[in-house]
Amino acid sequence: MSTGTGTELRATDVTLIEQVVARDEAALSALYDRYSGMVFSVVMRIVKDSQAAEEILQDVFHQLWRNASRFDAARGSLPGFLMVSARNRAISRMRRKGAGLSDELNENTVVLPYNLESSIAQKQLLGKVTGVMESLPAPQKQAVELAYFEGLTHSEIAERTGEPLGTIKTRLRSAMETLKNSLNP
Amino acid sequence: MNGHPQHEEDFDLYALGVLEGEEKQALEAHIAVCAACAAKSAEARGRVSLLALASKPIAPPAVVKSRLMEQVRAESSPARAREESRTTERAGGLFGRWTWAWAAAAAVLALATGFLWYQNVKEQEKIQQALREATATELKIQNAQKLIAILQAPDSVMISMASSDSSQVTGKVCYNARLGKLACSTHLPAAPSDKSYQLWLVPMAGNPVSAGLIAPNMISTDDMWMTDVKAGMAAKAFAVTLEPAGGMPQPTGPKVLVGLAPQAVTFSNPKGKIQAYSIHATAWGVASGSTPNWPVHARESSENMR
Repeated sequence: MSTGTGTELRATDVTLIEQVVARDEAALSALYDRYSGMVFSVVMRIVKDSQAAEEILQDVFHQLWRNASRFDAARGSLPGFLMVSARNRAISRMRRKGAGLSDELNENTVVLPYNLESSIAQKQLLGKVTGVMESLPAPQKQAVELAYFEGLTHSEIAERTGEPLGTIKTRLRSAMETLKNSLNP
Repeated sequence: MNGHPQHEEDFDLYALGVLEGEEKQALEAHIAVCAACAAKSAEARGRVSLLALASKPIAPPAVVKSRLMEQVRAESSPARAREESRTTERAGGLFGRWTWAWAAAAAVLALATGFLWYQNVKEQEKIQQALREATATELKIQNAQKLIAILQAPDSVMISMASSDSSQVTGKVCYNARLGKLACSTHLPAAPSDKSYQLWLVPMAGNPVSAGLIAPNMISTDDMWMTDVKAGMAAKAFAVTLEPAGGMPQPTGPKVLVGLAPQAVTFSNPKGKIQAYSIHATAWGVASGSTPNWPVHARESSENMR
C-alpha cells in the first residue's frame, strides 16, 4: 500500500457527499472549505457585489445540504456542479434570468475529467484555464466573457459589440473548439 | 434538428448559454431523447464550467461559513429546537398550572410528531444512501475487474519506465496488445500549468501513438489508471513526454520516462503462460493469484474482493 502522497488521508467528494446525506455537518464543512473559494470567485466576478456574492455562496452550499441525496457523485462532478449552480444563480440575479440551464441536483449532470479535491489541483487547473483564455484572440475572449460572466446570448453579444451575428457565432465556435482541445485531458 | 448536432461545439455553445430560439430548442429536444448526446452535453457542461476558474481568486469572508453552519444546525435538529423552546417557556413561568399541563402535552405531541417525521426522513435517507453505496461499490468492482483483467491476462506485458535524470521519477505500464488495453501508474512531479504529461506507445513500426494524458495523476502520482488503444499493436517501447497543455498528436517535448517493452513472448502451452505472467507480475510486485496490492484503485479492488 502506498503512503506519502497525503491524498489517502483526504476524504473524496463521493465519501463526503455520502456523509452529508447522512446529515454530517463536518462533511459539509469540509466540502465548503474545499470549494467555497472557487464558487465565491466566480460569483464575485459576475455580481461584483460582496453582499450578493456571500448570499449566493451560502445558498449554493445550503442547497447541497438539503438535496445531497439527489446528487450522484459517481456520475457527476461536484465542483463542476457547484460552478454551474453558482454561475446560474449569479446570472439570474444580475439579469433576472437563468443562464439557460437548470441547476437541479438530479438534472444536467456535469462531467469533469479532473479531480479538484486538492487546492494544488485547483491551482493547476486555474493556471491552465487562464492560459487557454489568454491564448484566445482578443475578440474571441471578449465574446466568451460576455457569454459566461454576463450571460449574454449570441444576438445579445452581437448587439453589445456592434458586430454581425454571424461573426459572433464564428468567434464563439472557434473559442469553444480551442477550449475543448485544450481542456480535454 | 432531427439528428445529432452537426458540430461537436454545439454542446459547448449550449452549455455556455448563447444558443437561442429554434437552435436551442432543437438541441434540447434532441438531448432529451439521445443518451449519447446527453453524455456529450454533460461533458461540455463540465468543460464550460471550468471558465469559472478564469476569475480572479477571492477568498470568501469567514462569516459566510458561520452563517451556513448555523442555518444547517437549526434545520437538522427540529426535535432539539422544539426541546429548547419548551425549556424556555417553562423557565419563563408565564403559564398557570393547567395551561402549563396542556402546553406540556402539546409539546410532547409536537416532539413525538417531530421525532416520527425525523425518523421517517432518516429512514428515507438511509435507503437512499444504501442505494448510492451499492452503485458506488458496483462501479468500484467494475473498475477493479477491468484492471485485474488487464493485469492477469497471460499475454499482458509489464514495462518499467525510467528517467535518465532521476531515480525518483518512474512509471509502469501493463500492456495487452491483443485487447488494446493498458494500465499505467507513474511517479512524476507536477507538470507546469501550461504542460501535460502524455503517454506514448512506440509501435514496432511507424510513429508513436498517443495513449492519453496523465491528467488523473495530477494529485496522487500513485493512482493507477487504464486506457484503451487500438488493438493488435506490437509495442517496442513506452514513453512519457512533456507536451503543451492538452497534448499533441505526435511527441514534441522532452522524454521524461522511457521503457522498452520485452520482446514478444510466444506462449506454447498453458503452463508457459502462467509462468510468464508470474515472472512479469513478480517483477512488478504482484504475487500471482492474489489481489494486486496497489494504491487507490487496487485498494478499492482488494476491499471489494474480500
